[in-house]
Amino acid sequence: MLNKLTKNLNQILLAVGTIILALIVGGVIISFSGNSPLDAYFSMFNGAFGSKQRFMEVLVRMIPLVIMALGTSVAFKANLWNIGGDGQFIMGSIFAVFVTIYSGLPPVIGIPVSILAAMLGGGLWAGLAGWLKVKFNANEVITTLMLNYIAVYFLSFLVYGPMMDPKGSKMPQTEIIPQAFRLPLFESGNRLHMGIFLALIIVIIMIFFWKSTVGFKIGLLGQGEKVTTYAGVSVKKMIVFTMIISGLLAGISGWTEIYGVQYRLLEGITSGYGSMAIVIALMGGLNPIGILISGFFFSALLVGGATMQRMTAIPFSIVDIVQGLIIIFIIARTAVNFKEIKNKIVRRMGHVK
Amino acid sequence: MEEIKVNDYAVVMKNIVKEFYDVRANDNVNFLVKNGSIHGLLGENGAGKTTLMNVLYGLYHPEEGEIFINGIKQDIHSPTKAISLGIGMVHQHFMLARPFTIVENVMLGRKSRKGILLDTKETAKDLVALAEKYKMKIDPYAKIWQLSVGEQQRVEILTALYQGAEVLILDEPTAVLTPQEVDGLFVTLREMKNDGKSIILITHKLEEIVCIVDEVTVLRDGAMIGNVEVDCNTTKAELTKMMVGRDVLFNFEKSNSAAGEKKLTIKDLKVLNDKNFLALDGFSLDVHAGEIIGLAGVDGNGQKELCEALTGIRTVESGEVKLDTINIENKPPLFSIKKGIAHIPEDRHITGLALGWSLKKNLILKTFKDNSKFGLIDEKKIEDRWEKARVAYQIKANSGDDSARDLSGGNQQKVILARELENNPVILIANQPTRGLDIGATEYVRQKLLDAKGDGAGVLLVSADLEEILQLSDRIAVIYDGKLMGILPGGSDVKKIGELMMGKKLEVEQNAK
Ligand SMILES: Nc1ncnc2c1ncn2[C@@H]1O[C@H](COP(=O)(O)OP(=O)(O)O)[C@@H](O)[C@H]1O
Ligand SMILES: [Mg+2]
Repeated sequence: MLNKLTKNLNQILLAVGTIILALIVGGVIISFSGNSPLDAYFSMFNGAFGSKQRFMEVLVRMIPLVIMALGTSVAFKANLWNIGGDGQFIMGSIFAVFVTIYSGLPPVIGIPVSILAAMLGGGLWAGLAGWLKVKFNANEVITTLMLNYIAVYFLSFLVYGPMMDPKGSKMPQTEIIPQAFRLPLFESGNRLHMGIFLALIIVIIMIFFWKSTVGFKIGLLGQGEKVTTYAGVSVKKMIVFTMIISGLLAGISGWTEIYGVQYRLLEGITSGYGSMAIVIALMGGLNPIGILISGFFFSALLVGGATMQRMTAIPFSIVDIVQGLIIIFIIARTAVNFKEIKNKIVRRMGHVK
Repeated sequence: MEEIKVNDYAVVMKNIVKEFYDVRANDNVNFLVKNGSIHGLLGENGAGKTTLMNVLYGLYHPEEGEIFINGIKQDIHSPTKAISLGIGMVHQHFMLARPFTIVENVMLGRKSRKGILLDTKETAKDLVALAEKYKMKIDPYAKIWQLSVGEQQRVEILTALYQGAEVLILDEPTAVLTPQEVDGLFVTLREMKNDGKSIILITHKLEEIVCIVDEVTVLRDGAMIGNVEVDCNTTKAELTKMMVGRDVLFNFEKSNSAAGEKKLTIKDLKVLNDKNFLALDGFSLDVHAGEIIGLAGVDGNGQKELCEALTGIRTVESGEVKLDTINIENKPPLFSIKKGIAHIPEDRHITGLALGWSLKKNLILKTFKDNSKFGLIDEKKIEDRWEKARVAYQIKANSGDDSARDLSGGNQQKVILARELENNPVILIANQPTRGLDIGATEYVRQKLLDAKGDGAGVLLVSADLEEILQLSDRIAVIYDGKLMGILPGGSDVKKIGELMMGKKLEVEQNAK
């Protein structure tokens, strides 16, 4: 029990350490650019937490990011490199909006059906990549990436063509979804919506998911195909299934963004959430709580960075740099065995004596 | 050992220390090889034999110690340097380029005598002459992948000789050979010795080399335990004690209870290997309840594919496998698991265990559904399960949360045994169950196989280790090139088994029925 606790604590400390290190190195780079790192970070912090309004904005960002990162983590745990979160997000959104606009279902049924449609869209899109891997041994990194492009262009086609808002002034977007279908807001004048509860519920579900027999099988796949087969679990079925679960969460993530924030389909709705979700999933150690924490941090970084850019002369690209540094440190963390370094140091000291 | 007259020896290694992080693989080892002698280097798996020889061959740099070759102190910083000093090494795992011919392999990494043109013909001629001199037979234009393991070993030896080796290191050379091939190897080694060369033979099995070596150095846990002159009459007991640090019995009580009814029937099995060649070519065999049938054979003759076909991991092209009266060929692995076919796979790291997972979870790899409540893994139940297994199988680990990777090979195998024997299997397929284990763990695993048989399981023991086969088997089947060569009664003559292992078919198969 204690063992487990220290293990979790270690995870969190490692994540925090990574962030601090990235901020320090980022600070050096900022000072090279002729700005004061302290000013930059202060305005960034202020930008994220300076007012209730801003803090809520951080949470708004966090909702889709955390849900999508949870989806990404499912695939990663199975050693499946699903990097197509964006495409699955888009397909989920398209399916959901399609149902809402054209089915004419009343909200009581229409809302749950739209969530299911989002899950179906995202799940199908990722499942397709899984199926291609099983059937043709196609690398999922390539296929999920390709499917991203297809989804992006398909979305453009829809919003410029068949689904374009007939009442709109030729804007590339669909008609707005009726009030009754939207996720309720906490208070008017603020964008924070009830999707935050959905995100938290999904975090809790995922904690149990990893303790379930299904989670067991997905984790086993991550340990290797041979041992999976040996244990009597079908590798092919698990690959497709895992990808579906992964994509289905990305679909839900799209649903929260459309039904909570955008209220319609438009070009560029993902704003690169997919790549951020990957970083969040890895930084959170593929663990639901870890993902919640790192998702919160990243959202603060994004919102704070945007404010900083508005308030000071420091460009938003600082945020990109910090993000890039974090990725580098995460990779370094997995590539370099800390135990080896420790042992080397210990041995050196032993020799001196 | 204080004053060593370095001039009397071909090789002197003095106070060698080699560390890998927290492991001292060589701890102040002194190792001396007389000129023109055959010298055994004996020790259990992990004793540090390979490490010591890698230091001599320039692959590792020792933290401390010095090396003298023919009396002159040398800094052997690379294999190239070692080769230039006349040291050659044949590794445990051969380092040949498989798509190339023998002569091409020998020429790799060497300058041609004809400048930019290849001197293939000349080299081939030299090679054949060299091979004949040391009583080996080769076809220089054969491709490596076409060769048997024994032939590949010959190529390695030839390469070393061709590079001018005066001191030849052979790392566990007998492990991969049939008894007859071992005899052939020894003829070659004696020729080399007569020629004034020095040979270092690494082994963890004394009895195989006792007749050919002049002297043996024993390593244990990285330390040099002793240096003993031996000959054919030296008894195993004392040296084994030096190796292990305690007395070893190795006398199993083989209960000769009559074998029960036929449980597993394998008929005309044809199975492809990973390269889509026939690995099993019409293989047939029966396994009865309450017996251990040993399947002897040189590695790579279809054993792995057989085990995989029997457990549903590999597809069967034709033929059938029956458990009692049920056909189990081409059923998913889960089917045979449920029917009570247990499997100790050959590679415990990739197949037998989820290395990154906890021991607790590894124990329930196949039974996780039975260890769950409302779809959630029952933590308490698997903790109990672990505790029971730990006690019953004497698994040495800090806790069930340790990852399987952190255990020694012997303890990893115990975890697999604990899992596979949990529900008293009907059939137990054990593929090389003691490979790479130390003597203590080997003893333990073999006892467990006998226990399983005592509990009524039909045990198919696949092993390249004839000693193991002879110790445990009630019947001995031999596989060669994917075919059954014959079935011999337990305790048959080693030479006879060896003949079958090389592809000679058993002439009269009277007792087959
Ligand atoms: N490259 C390596 N890195 C880390 N540890 C090693 C390495 N090579 C050997 N060891 C460790 O050193 C010890 C001796 O290994 P080895 O020399 O291979 O033994 P042997 O050949 O006698 O079986 C073992 O504990 C092994 O795990
Ligand atoms: Mg070795």
